[in-house]
Amino acid sequence: MPHLEIDDLTVSYEKDKPALARFSLDVGQGELVSLLGPSGCGKTTTLRSVAGFIQPDAGRIVIDGRDYTRLPPNQRDIGLVFQSYALFPHLTVFNNVAFGLRMRRAPRKVVHARVTYALRMVGLEAFADRRPAQLSGGQQQRVALARATVIEPQVLLLDEPLSNLDARLRVDMRQEIRRLQQQLGITTLYVTHDQVEAMSISDRVVVMNEGKIEQIGAPESIFAAPETVFVADFMGFDNHFSAAVESAQADKLTVNWGGVPIELHWHSKVGAPHRGARAEVFFRADNASLSAAADAKGLSGQVILHTFHGNEVRYLVETEVGEFGILQDSAGQRFENGAEVSVQAQTQKWIAIIE
Amino acid sequence: MVSRWMYVSLVILYSFLLGPFVIIFMASFGANANLAFPPQGFTLDWFANVFETSQFVDSFWISLQLGLSSTIVSLVMGMPVAYALVRFQFSGSGMVETVFSAPILVPGLVMGFAMLNFFVLLGDMHVMTTLFIGHTAILFPYSVRVISASLRNLDPYVEDAAVSLGANRLRGFLLVVLPNMQAGIAAAFVLGFITSFNNVPVSLFLSGPGVTTLPVSMLSYLEYYFDPTIAALSTLLVIFTVVLVQTAERLLGVSQFV
Repeated sequence: MPHLEIDDLTVSYEKDKPALARFSLDVGQGELVSLLGPSGCGKTTTLRSVAGFIQPDAGRIVIDGRDYTRLPPNQRDIGLVFQSYALFPHLTVFNNVAFGLRMRRAPRKVVHARVTYALRMVGLEAFADRRPAQLSGGQQQRVALARATVIEPQVLLLDEPLSNLDARLRVDMRQEIRRLQQQLGITTLYVTHDQVEAMSISDRVVVMNEGKIEQIGAPESIFAAPETVFVADFMGFDNHFSAAVESAQADKLTVNWGGVPIELHWHSKVGAPHRGARAEVFFRADNASLSAAADAKGLSGQVILHTFHGNEVRYLVETEVGEFGILQDSAGQRFENGAEVSVQAQTQKWIAIIE
Repeated sequence: MVSRWMYVSLVILYSFLLGPFVIIFMASFGANANLAFPPQGFTLDWFANVFETSQFVDSFWISLQLGLSSTIVSLVMGMPVAYALVRFQFSGSGMVETVFSAPILVPGLVMGFAMLNFFVLLGDMHVMTTLFIGHTAILFPYSVRVISASLRNLDPYVEDAAVSLGANRLRGFLLVVLPNMQAGIAAAFVLGFITSFNNVPVSLFLSGPGVTTLPVSMLSYLEYYFDPTIAALSTLLVIFTVVLVQTAERLLGVSQFV
């Protein structure tokens, strides 16, 4: 039985324009699921509905077999971490973390022991007497984590917890959140708009768009096999072109790529495509390679820009099908702007989507 | 060069601002029977005279009572308004904010005259009551503004955080919002009290026989006498105000909201 069940949740701020439309998701005990999508996709609405700050128009929220849908937020057994941390500025770190336990009327000794333990878990036991304003952003976020987890909630909700930190700290904090979450075995919903963050931290990722789920899956499958054009775009496929289907089998589909026939994995929400249907083809910059025009039988093109990225050089190549970004090992053969090249497709990692 | 010119103009500006006060300050210790500068001799008689003039002592107590009561009432009324204006965007909230600042924008004399007419229409009210209502009305927008400023500095999500940790809305407000409004409330209190204590135009219209505020009785004293008593009283008032503001600043750091 799932630990957190969201069934057919619908929330509308404006009439006929639902922020969340029949959203359903099951999260297992101890699982970390990310809600990933651009702003306005409904991910924060989902989170705030689970927390009880938004009353849904329809649908149900069940945690550990208990119906939470109509429960006031202060009676829900939930830990919440905010993007802005939302620490209490007038209280010390210790008292911030102790707040939830005191609301639950825990005895003094229990409060002391559990707060001390929670602060040790996030490496801040030396900072117990500081005020939030005396801490760095990363430290403040650790206090927020300790404050939300010390009450041992059924479900932990994190709303873009890393957006206010700088890039390097974000990577550290992301690992720390994951480590803490796994140590505590706590069922977690994690809202983010950053696909790298979502993939690295999650057991499963839910990609959302306009209040609906586009795709749910393990990070690996979302990364490698997006099922919709939106997900492919959002998951960082650099290159995209439209092509006519020549033939389709169960696992392969052939399209014409500027005269070169290529076989692709495909996904369709509208059934098997007929000959001549439009397929949207996506591939990443590192899944194609360049060679000098004379010695290959790929798609011919011309280098119009190259940029150096350390281990790789990124080429922008103009072809009759479109412009493609292609990464090449910087130790290999180099091409100047204007060079005639041939593009070889490594099609096992390409994907065709029919919508 | 720029910094030198700025320095010179600052000195000139401040000598115009502070010069008159320095003259009053020195004159309050002078032995001349009329206000004069430079003063001759040294005496504290004029300070003693302030405390012996019942007109000043009585009106000081009235001003003090009036200042405290109207400030406290305007704070109590202003707090929920400020909270609502900062936390909720409702239709017409911009207009409400404008309406609440109106008493700051309307000239004091107009306010005083309008209130006088209004209270006359209402009929026989005690002078102290009309003064209290008038002052509360002047202070109310200051309370709303200063408390709003302190609330805007507080992350709106701290309340949600408190609620998610098990506090109900009221406890969340009392345990998390109110403590963080302290400095703003103190600032509004000091600003409100000083505004009430110094107000002339509204008090002038609403004062009545035997019930006069200190600044109004200073004005009427000046119509008949021109001795340094008034300078001594001014010196005392400046010291009183500076001590009040400094204490509030030391204790609560109120200057960030004014």
